[in-house]
Amino acid sequence: MEHMDFGRHTSREFNQDLENIRNMVLEMGGLVEQQVGDAMIALLQSNSELGQQVEDRDVEVNALEVKIDEACTQIIAKRQPAASDLRLVMAVVKTITDLERIGDEAEKIGHLAIKLATDTHRPEYYRHLELVGQMAKTILGNALDAFARLDAQAAFDTAKSDRKIDDEFETLSRVLITHMMEDNREIKNVLRVSWCARSLERIGDHSKNICEYVIYLVKGKDVRHISLKKIRKQFFNNPK
Amino acid sequence: MNSLTSDANPSINRSPSMLDLNVDSHVTVGDNVLDEAKVRVRNLDVFYGDKQAIHDINLDIREREVIALIGPSGCGKSTFLRCLNRMNDTIDICRMTGDIELDGENIYANRQDAVLLRARVGMVFQKANPFPKSIYDNVAYGPRIHGLTRNKPELDEIVEKSLTRAGLFEEVKDRLDSPGTGLSGGQQQRLCIARCIAVQPEIILMDEPASALDPIATTIIEGLIHELSEKYTIVIVTHSMQQAARVSRRTAYFHMGRLIEVGDTNAIFTNPLHDLTEKYITGRFG
Repeated sequence: MEHMDFGRHTSREFNQDLENIRNMVLEMGGLVEQQVGDAMIALLQSNSELGQQVEDRDVEVNALEVKIDEACTQIIAKRQPAASDLRLVMAVVKTITDLERIGDEAEKIGHLAIKLATDTHRPEYYRHLELVGQMAKTILGNALDAFARLDAQAAFDTAKSDRKIDDEFETLSRVLITHMMEDNREIKNVLRVSWCARSLERIGDHSKNICEYVIYLVKGKDVRHISLKKIRKQFFNNPK
Repeated sequence: MNSLTSDANPSINRSPSMLDLNVDSHVTVGDNVLDEAKVRVRNLDVFYGDKQAIHDINLDIREREVIALIGPSGCGKSTFLRCLNRMNDTIDICRMTGDIELDGENIYANRQDAVLLRARVGMVFQKANPFPKSIYDNVAYGPRIHGLTRNKPELDEIVEKSLTRAGLFEEVKDRLDSPGTGLSGGQQQRLCIARCIAVQPEIILMDEPASALDPIATTIIEGLIHELSEKYTIVIVTHSMQQAARVSRRTAYFHMGRLIEVGDTNAIFTNPLHDLTEKYITGRFG
């Protein structure tokens, strides 16, 4: 792991500004994690009240995005950050966009949980959905940990694990299609479950993006749209 | 955690303290040595009396590039700049060892005429220093003493061309006989640039050319540097890192008399290789 230090500027206020935006990202990350967790509980336990709470709380996620964006704009305007400071500000601006979108996906799941709560019957595929949900929560948590610790290796490992969610999503989609073919009265609800699964898969993608920003922040190179194999070869000696 | 590190160059010194820089093991990071170069500096040491101001600098400068020299006060960047046209010759206690070649010729060779060298390698200083003469005579001074013209119309042409290239002609064309010292600070600095380019130099050295100017005049000078770079090699010393980032193609970071890192300006300002460069440009000292 690289050692990065965003303190020790000649200007103490600059240290504080950078520390603030990092802390706010972690706060936003914590809120988004909770939103995803609550949305999944609402969905799996037919808890429409909790689903409604998730929907309502999305405004808090949006407000944090705007607040952090503003703080980053102020830093750029006042401090003209360079090198690792500049990369931190850029990584933060990008990370919060993905976090806000994860918040939107959680809101969608919350909304669908309310619709699905009218039918308390939980067929077998819900277990599969729960598994995808757990995977999405794990990858999101790991991405945020990598950001908090500025751990490029952990970010790389986490980015790699997104593939597993994609595979599970494919499998679940096949199961859901089979259900729809078998009983067309179920199509409406199975479609809703399918949209939830799609949202979880998107959460995995956004988390992977966050991991790429962490690698950019620590290693100084933009690794978006580069295969994981190439990234490993270029930046990580560890053949994990 | 108290140091920034980059794994691109494991051999470089990663000491958290700027005072701990190990002289013996120091190697410049980046592309300081090139295949093709207009200026080659090798093993340059400069002393003021007993005090060594510059330690073993190796740096190549391409033709028609803008290279910015940055670093904290007293890091040797201005001393280095002044070596490139032998301005340090005028300081008695200053002595240097090493080689500086311009187009493959040693500029410190005995046969080299320092006055002719300074026509090829012009200089613009921090404080605009027009002669107490008219605007016209300021620009015409160099071509006259170097005998670059045969008659008045030729001289007129050089003066107009130089002032135009320095972005000043339109502002002063109706008062070429007025004293140069009567112009504004930004205009005086452009007059000095016109005076410098009137003798058709190949290289222009600029020692903080905009540090005494307001933001608008600074922007004009920076635009001018950009235009001049199509014809001249420009070496600029600046305290403003944003200015270095804006005007130069390559940046060289000096620290305590040593050349720490040289690289593409875009890379230096987003992902420098050396700890000290990182610390300086992020405002952790300097």
